Amino acid sequence: MKLLPGPLRRRRPAEPDGRPAAVPGDGDLRRGHDALVREREKEAERQRRREAALEVPISVAGWLDERTGLGPFMRGLLYRKVPPSNWFYTLGSATLFAFLSQAVTGVFLAMYYRPSATEAYTSVQHITNDVFLGQLVRGMHKWGATVMMVLIFLHLGRTFFFGAYKYPRELNWIIGVVLLVLTMVMGLTGYLLPFDQRSFWATVVAVNLNSSGPIIGPYLADFLRGGAEFGATTISRFYAIHMLLVPGLMAALIGAHLYLVVKLGVTAPPWMKAEKARELAKEEI
Amino acid sequence: MGAYDGETVTRRRLFTGGALAAGGIATTAFALPAVGFALGPLFERTEPRMFQDVGPVGDFNPQSYVPKVITIDASVGEAGKSTVYVRKRDPSRDTDHLHQPYIAISNRCMHLGCPVRYVQASERFICPCHGGVYQFDGKVAGGPPVRPLDRFETRVVKGRVQVGPRFSLDSHLHRFKVRDPSNHVDGLWQYIYPSRPTT
Amino acid sequence: MNAREKEQYLREYHVFKGQGKPFFPYTVFKDGTMATLTLVVIIAAAILFGAELGPKADPTTTTYTPRPEWYFFFLFELLRVVKPPALVFMATVGIPTICLVLLIILPFIDRNPERNPLKRPIATLTGITVIAAMAYLTIEGAIAGSPTEIEMKVAKQYEPGRAVAASSGCLGCHKIGDNGNAGPGPPLTKVGARLPKQAIARTLINPTPPMPSFSTLRQRSPKEFNELVNFLSSLR
Repeated sequence: MKLLPGPLRRRRPAEPDGRPAAVPGDGDLRRGHDALVREREKEAERQRRREAALEVPISVAGWLDERTGLGPFMRGLLYRKVPPSNWFYTLGSATLFAFLSQAVTGVFLAMYYRPSATEAYTSVQHITNDVFLGQLVRGMHKWGATVMMVLIFLHLGRTFFFGAYKYPRELNWIIGVVLLVLTMVMGLTGYLLPFDQRSFWATVVAVNLNSSGPIIGPYLADFLRGGAEFGATTISRFYAIHMLLVPGLMAALIGAHLYLVVKLGVTAPPWMKAEKARELAKEEI
Repeated sequence: MGAYDGETVTRRRLFTGGALAAGGIATTAFALPAVGFALGPLFERTEPRMFQDVGPVGDFNPQSYVPKVITIDASVGEAGKSTVYVRKRDPSRDTDHLHQPYIAISNRCMHLGCPVRYVQASERFICPCHGGVYQFDGKVAGGPPVRPLDRFETRVVKGRVQVGPRFSLDSHLHRFKVRDPSNHVDGLWQYIYPSRPTT
Repeated sequence: MNAREKEQYLREYHVFKGQGKPFFPYTVFKDGTMATLTLVVIIAAAILFGAELGPKADPTTTTYTPRPEWYFFFLFELLRVVKPPALVFMATVGIPTICLVLLIILPFIDRNPERNPLKRPIATLTGITVIAAMAYLTIEGAIAGSPTEIEMKVAKQYEPGRAVAASSGCLGCHKIGDNGNAGPGPPLTKVGARLPKQAIARTLINPTPPMPSFSTLRQRSPKEFNELVNFLSSLR
């Protein structure tokens, strides 16, 4: 299976008339001839070693490809053509990376956190003060949330101003807006978990915000709180929502979002349209 | 269409219907308990709170409110407590029909639940969140709160003041079953924000 | 967009794609650099600013001023701005839900096939207005302070008066500098220039309802009352 495409495979530049590259070896004809042969042998040895070294990964890839049929898919994914783009287009993958950072730091925090109204605060203190690198991981998780919010809004703005929500990418936009809402829900459920003053009162207000919706509002508030009052099940509910429900939904929707991006392609920057249209018009004439 | 004249159910239709029915039953079988588990707390009756002692009769006076700590939910430790502002009834100022011997006002703002603080100099309850202000008797003086501050039942037993379950008030200080902070209760609003099984 | 415009776009896009470069390594390199930058920013922020943990949750507090995380400040300020109680549900669930619905159905509202932001003035202007409004609300929410603290700087002799004003609940209905609520009372930031000292004292003792009277304060502590009057008349 060809793994490296043409341009990336190292090749020695040929002579102008097509002969293979000349090797050093001048002076006395006989000495030059021996030197030439030695050089050619060394070159062949190097080529053999290189190919032997590449044998292992190529055979592993070949083994996988034979059993999964993923070769053509990976080639199509990695080497597909992407229209000329600029650095604004990196905001989406930066958001994804921030999400992954949150997921990984979240898993590590979950190993030490205790979701109970009486123990949550002390477990977070334990993480910050006693656990090795706990302060760093907790700081990364907290600032990662801010960074992700900033990036997701910048990505939204970029998509809006570039008109990348129009045909045929409407569904992608809708999935993206749902992801925005889910990200804000993650922020909301997440910052109850340290259970300090700020967390507690922000959550009380957030749950009462839900309660203010006519007719079903109070029931929605009861659902979030696990009852009429802030109680023992409230933290557990928020923890389950923050750890399992919303990340699961987000992972699924991110998968759908990325699938659509690959399938429909990344848009070209909108100001390129004018030049292209003019060139096309010229060609047609 | 069937094996003989007049038969309408083919093998394929039978199995299609059967597959859909079996799938539906399987999905319901694992979804319903999960949904019930999640929605259960909405329909549980919470136990009515007992009366709690907040101090001797001599602690309280008719001119100003004294903050006391009570327990709302004993199972969550400190997170289950709340502050109640207690004052002795002043017949010249308290013209409501509740006839409580002591007035115990909840510290929960009736806009979105932030903790209000009592300021003696201006005899106002002030909410630090969104600008809500209440008068001396708990009625709204300004800002977005939707109804007067909730009160607690009070009684005096053997010279000590006791504070009981919470109840809500409309703007004329009539008693209502307890509601969440942002729920209006005046007039038709009480049907838009009905009291629930949990309260 | 009708069928012809859709077809035209697809044809144009096909041309652009043909002129493009392979995803690996060009786009992957750019994405990777940005991802590394994101990670560096997160780690640097975690090391430099750390993760603070405030005091433990305490529902019995009478002094705490609750605030949400910074990315909810625009909603927080919206709740402060909408004062009539009958409109509270609009500020809490109505307006955010409407904005969300508009955002979701945006591709169906905006049928203009044009993508260049300079050539779709309505969309671009709406976008800029929304961003400016959210930024304004966020900043206003960030500077909203506690109703029992006055942050304005005053000369040393007026500091006791400032403390009396802060603890007397004036900020519940008046604005002094950046602190306080914008109603029902008028802003007091320049009240010293508007009213002479006697008028201020008279208003405090005999105010227009619903303002409470501070005559009890004068009886209880004439010193504090005078400090309050002096502080207020120094606000020019």
